[in-house]
Amino acid sequence: MIKKVHHVGVVVKSADEALKFYRDALGLEVTADRVIEDQGVRGVLLKIGNSEIELLEPTRNDTGVAKFLESRGEGMHHLCFESDDVAAELEGAKAKGITLIDEKPRPGLAGMIGFCHPKSNHGVLVEFATPIEGDHH
Amino acid sequence: MGAGATNIDHIVISSNDSAATAQLFSENFGFPIKRTMSRPGTRAHLEFAKLDEVVLEFAGPGEVKPYDEVKSRIGGLVLAVTDIDAAVAAVRAAGYECGEAHPAIQPGAKIATVKSGTGGVPFAFIQYNAIPQESPA
Repeated sequence: MIKKVHHVGVVVKSADEALKFYRDALGLEVTADRVIEDQGVRGVLLKIGNSEIELLEPTRNDTGVAKFLESRGEGMHHLCFESDDVAAELEGAKAKGITLIDEKPRPGLAGMIGFCHPKSNHGVLVEFATPIEGDHH
Repeated sequence: MGAGATNIDHIVISSNDSAATAQLFSENFGFPIKRTMSRPGTRAHLEFAKLDEVVLEFAGPGEVKPYDEVKSRIGGLVLAVTDIDAAVAAVRAAGYECGEAHPAIQPGAKIATVKSGTGGVPFAFIQYNAIPQESPA
């Protein structure tokens, strides 16, 4: 069951530059900052209330995030809903006829994650996440 | 210190048919649409869902044309603050462009738009109970 908005993902050219606004000017706390090699991104999570803002900076040119940045420029990329059971969310979504990008959960910055294809949501890329206990939260 | 942002207040999902997109999200992800509103004078049609502390605002035109395809995107991010004048001053002091706080559509609320530094995100602050409201006689 979906509990809340875990985060909104924002694609940026430079996470360091974006942090000057989100961390330094707004005063938001960075809860995670690491390069995810297999996805070719540096991801930074900033806590805001019960949710987070995720900055995504491509670290190479052959990824979806890099292509998004090249074609659309910086901006809002995806919406992530938190669930207790990301595998169940993916199975439930598939049963409803939603096209999945990830058939099975995989590790991501927000915990175990899985994406639905935007074509099933009128163009909006939607992620499910189940945070891992003892991780950054 | 920062801008004193407490939480994500709402996330705007812009659509060429906001009612259809709201219904799709409700069906796909299992949360109810709590409120609908056609904004007088603006020809906008808004639908709202709430997940924990975050409102999803589905925004679109009041009159929907017979589109071949409904298209939507994440259209903006609004953070709640405790003192909007202080938030505006904080981001300006950090070198970012921010409009003056002005009355929002929500009764008693003020809103201010941040115009630079956000990584391409249409971005605003909102403070509720910023304008004293007359109580009914």
